[in-house]
Amino acid sequence: MNTHIKGRAHLLGDNINTDVNCSSKYLPGKDNAYIAQHAFEQVAPGFASRFRLGDVIVAGRNFGINSSREQAVAIMRVMGVAAIVAQSFGRQFFRNTINNGLPALECDISGIVEGDEIEIDPAAGKLTVAARHISRTVAVLPPAVQQIIAAGGLIAYLQKHPDWQLA
Amino acid sequence: MGHTIAEKILAAHAGGKPVRAGDIVVARVDFAMVHDGRAANALRMIAKLGVKDLPFAAKTAFVLDHYSPPPNIEAANTHSAMRAFADRQGAVLYDVGDGICHQVMPEGGHLTCGDLIVGTDTHSVTYGAFNALGTGVEGTDLAAVMMTGKLWFRVPETIRVELKGRLQPGVWAKDITLAMLGRFGAEGANYRAIEYAGSAVSAMEIDDRMTLANHAAELGAKAALLEADAKTIDWLKAHHARAPQPVKADADANYVERIEIDAAALAPQVARRHQVDDVVGVPEVKGQKINFALIGTCTNGRLDDIRQAAAILKGQRIAKGVRMIVTPASRQVYLEAAREGLLEALTRAGASVEAAGCGTCVNITGHLITGDGEVVISSANRNFKGRLGNDKSEIWIGSAATVAASALTGMITDPREVVGGKWTASGKEVAA
Repeated sequence: MNTHIKGRAHLLGDNINTDVNCSSKYLPGKDNAYIAQHAFEQVAPGFASRFRLGDVIVAGRNFGINSSREQAVAIMRVMGVAAIVAQSFGRQFFRNTINNGLPALECDISGIVEGDEIEIDPAAGKLTVAARHISRTVAVLPPAVQQIIAAGGLIAYLQKHPDWQLA
Repeated sequence: MGHTIAEKILAAHAGGKPVRAGDIVVARVDFAMVHDGRAANALRMIAKLGVKDLPFAAKTAFVLDHYSPPPNIEAANTHSAMRAFADRQGAVLYDVGDGICHQVMPEGGHLTCGDLIVGTDTHSVTYGAFNALGTGVEGTDLAAVMMTGKLWFRVPETIRVELKGRLQPGVWAKDITLAMLGRFGAEGANYRAIEYAGSAVSAMEIDDRMTLANHAAELGAKAALLEADAKTIDWLKAHHARAPQPVKADADANYVERIEIDAAALAPQVARRHQVDDVVGVPEVKGQKINFALIGTCTNGRLDDIRQAAAILKGQRIAKGVRMIVTPASRQVYLEAAREGLLEALTRAGASVEAAGCGTCVNITGHLITGDGEVVISSANRNFKGRLGNDKSEIWIGSAATVAASALTGMITDPREVVGGKWTASGKEVAA
């Protein structure tokens, strides 16, 4: 969580359903590697082929809406997603990012353009797009949740802290 | 400032100190559920955790309902793995044909008022009908609960919905939620809990209250909570639930929004093709032709739904060319419907009754493949394009009464305009 993130922005719209666009729910038998090569194609043609390791997904409202399979986060890992910035997240998707150690930040995304270099400091709650003079404050997650992300996810966290204490 | 039901239940499970919306807590869970749609992922996460002993297994239900019966080898193998795992760890198993997770959980006495329950399904909000905070989680969450009996939660903001008056005969909880979806949009309550209160809720029987709580999932709600009354307590006792600890909201609780709905003024509603929040009153789309009628699912497959349908279709025959499937929500519902002669009445009317389970809610079993251009009227909860396997067909959503009335005429029909369509659960039948 303390890692500074710097990558290219790849834009997606509102109400992106990760079950449809980034899971095997409707592609039975296909593995994560296959889906990673085709993720979000229906809503943004060429998305997966443009995406590079360490890049950032920038999306609109309700990213990860619907029943939200956890698999989507694993596929994003394969794609090399460093973080997701969205206007807002679907509830279960947001849980899934924390449980799987992927930084997901709720933030105003207006003015950010496809391909912009975006810098995020989650611990300090800062998002910057220097080329466009954008500097925004991001809500900092509570320490209890930051610890889970820092450990790489809930499974890894519990392996280190089997006696999970009340926060 | 007082507290909402969600704040009180989470506080009681997180050490007792008061909590507020927005707080993150690690809370003790009372019971957990995983169904076959998510079990493969959950079992992978449990394996990844690498812990042999899962003390919480005895408080976890493994439910085989979505792939019921399994349509392919992968699903059949998931079922085998679930049976073996449940047996080894001492989890509670509900096998194919026992029913839908959200029906067998309360019927099995696994939850009570004041509980905190998690399930690997967005419709786990159903448990709020019993004044329990039920919420949907994923495999990693389930693995954590099975290992520790605890899970992290963000305390949700709450919307208070006051349902004034009383629903007219022929109008059901389903119609309330559809009307709310039309007004607030799908995910209109994302992240939030909803508290439902008022005279219309008090007047509802348990089956309809379960619909009310269940369908809040389409509003994006994290939980949907009703207060307990004598009906709730009696139902829980009859199903051998643990001693109820009812939780009420404080009069000065902090709500993010307060909404009033005049239940008495509400007509039957339908969600039109492809969008659960494209909602209109049935009178506005009267005459829309239908090809399939479906009654079932965790939203409307309970006994009172089947009674509504039978009240309309007993001694009648569904319209020529219409096909109808009825799927009781559980084995208990199936048996009671059989005892009351409802299954016979529906079968004689032209419906096919299937074994209990999630049925034809989504194209999993392959029992309902729609043709191009065909229209389905369903009592299910979601209708997005292609949900029944053909994106050139349409799914419309309504109450069981609206579905049955539409099956009878072959077009979308206001149940209040057909014989038996004003059947009510609480009182005697009202003449049409």
